[in-house]
Amino acid sequence: MLDTLLLLALNGLIWGLIIALIALGLSIIFGLLDIINIAHGDFFMVGTVLAWFTLNLTGNFWVAFLIVPLIGFILGALVQRIVIQPIRNVAALSIVATFGLSLILQEVVRITFGATPRRILPPIQDTVVLFGINYDVYRIFAAFVALVALAGFFLFLHRTKLGTWMRAVRHDRDTAIAMGVPAQHVYIFTFGIGFALAALGGVVAAPITTVEFRTGVDILPFCFMAVIIGGLGNLPGTAAAAVLLAVLEGIIQSFADPTVARISSLVLMSAVLLLRPQGLFKGLAK
Amino acid sequence: MTMSLMMIRRAMLIAFIVALIAVPWIVPALINKFWVSVIAEIMIWSLFAASVNLLFGYVGLLSFGQALYFGFGMYGVAIGISTLGLSFWPAFGLGIIASVAIAFVAGIFAVRLTWHYFAIITVVFSLIFYFFAVSVKAVTGGDDGINFTLPPTFSFGGYTGSFSNETFQYFFIFAAVAFCFFLMHRVIQSPLGKAFVAIRDNDTRAELIGLNVYQLRLIAFVMSGFLAGVSGALFAFFGRYASASYMFYHVSGEAVVWAIVGGAGTLLGPIVGTTLFIVIREVVSTHWEHHSLIVGVMAILVVILAPTGLVGLWNERLARWSAREKVPATRTSLQSEP
Repeated sequence: MLDTLLLLALNGLIWGLIIALIALGLSIIFGLLDIINIAHGDFFMVGTVLAWFTLNLTGNFWVAFLIVPLIGFILGALVQRIVIQPIRNVAALSIVATFGLSLILQEVVRITFGATPRRILPPIQDTVVLFGINYDVYRIFAAFVALVALAGFFLFLHRTKLGTWMRAVRHDRDTAIAMGVPAQHVYIFTFGIGFALAALGGVVAAPITTVEFRTGVDILPFCFMAVIIGGLGNLPGTAAAAVLLAVLEGIIQSFADPTVARISSLVLMSAVLLLRPQGLFKGLAK
Repeated sequence: MTMSLMMIRRAMLIAFIVALIAVPWIVPALINKFWVSVIAEIMIWSLFAASVNLLFGYVGLLSFGQALYFGFGMYGVAIGISTLGLSFWPAFGLGIIASVAIAFVAGIFAVRLTWHYFAIITVVFSLIFYFFAVSVKAVTGGDDGINFTLPPTFSFGGYTGSFSNETFQYFFIFAAVAFCFFLMHRVIQSPLGKAFVAIRDNDTRAELIGLNVYQLRLIAFVMSGFLAGVSGALFAFFGRYASASYMFYHVSGEAVVWAIVGGAGTLLGPIVGTTLFIVIREVVSTHWEHHSLIVGVMAILVVILAPTGLVGLWNERLARWSAREKVPATRTSLQSEP
């Protein structure tokens, strides 16, 4: 009993770190562009599919960790330039546009990759004994990659000129433009980074989940939960909430149905929205 | 507003209604019988899109969870007939009451929030009940849903009809949907509707002139739940089927797309948007299974090229044309026209 609890909590922790990557992308796109990105789950899905293609073309899964986020970045930048830019001033329309984008991504994947779910074998097949359980090494590796990416992202945001620009535009767009920040480029870059983070999440998660065109639809509500519970636009809060939620769901799953776990986190989210719309982790916001 | 503009609109509306009444005779002759039921389905989904439009187009609240009330209407009918053994009208009533009741409860919480937060809490509420419906398979049938056989006949006054008669089914749906659109039209024209628009345009100002913004938003929310509930109940009768999958957020999302592409804040916008997308689906899906690709591209193109929606674009064109023909028409008065 305790074993399963620990196992599911650990799975939750690792899954939470991956979700944190995806949700961060959602959060920066929201914070900077004021866009509710319905297609964000599909960015993740595209990442898993591209990982599958990379593995099958090169025979080497590790390459995907480099190539796929890069492709994601380019796709994100293109999407921002072609779809988002023309409707930037009307946030309600962005929901329709990103919904359309979500359909396009899913259909393109269905055409090229097919509708049947596939699996990727983890590139590391070993297991280690953790708390008396045989645990996949790849999952630990996945958590490590997610952690490094998260740390890298926050370093980038706070230590580089581009990161400072991103924070400046989010804080006060007009002043930032007046100070000479090229806001238009920052938008394109932000969307690219958002897509790249989700795609990286996809690569990391690909050997853990199934690869198919529908995974994005399932993951999107979870990412939104992390963004809301962490506080809209509060990046460290989002990451913390993703981990918290996933561990919580993991623990509940050890004694109840997965849907019960999902319902409890949704109820928690409603309570947060109604009682603390600024999120649970206001102190973390900078 | 010039006279001619109003006359054009009225003539088009009458032509549209006449065409819809003639459908069961003309369409089988011109195309085939299948399209009669497609048009019936379009009417049901138009009503569903109208429930998004009432909230977003007139009150300024974007709900992404209308599938919840659709689902309650649907399950009210299905459970009423298959489990409780109700006859037609009580089952219809149960569906509508269930959706209005849940809309009232959800609305009490949801309309405390606005804009992004409102969109998200509505989708969260609908997801809670979606997962709930999926997990209590014994009652809802989960994703597989409930199939049921309709009570063979139902009577209205002295008349007895049956849904197995397709023409009857078509006219029943037509009458119910037309009645709801008429109700919505009356509400929008009434002082209540003006108050809705005042809140949409500036809620602070609305509050300052003495409107109870919270209460008005709640009223609109329940009304919109009613519209969605009726469409769900009708869809259950139409398909003899209810399923949790219709409560998923994608269903809500489609209604938002239909309403905005057609033209939010116009009475007929949701009908235009819904018709466009369902016709594309029906025409293309027989030849090409990836019709969603076209839907996605269309949704993006419309919001880029016609941000006020197709009906909004049409109204602007009509106003410009009329301004060239006659005395200058005021474009500001367009907002509340159908």
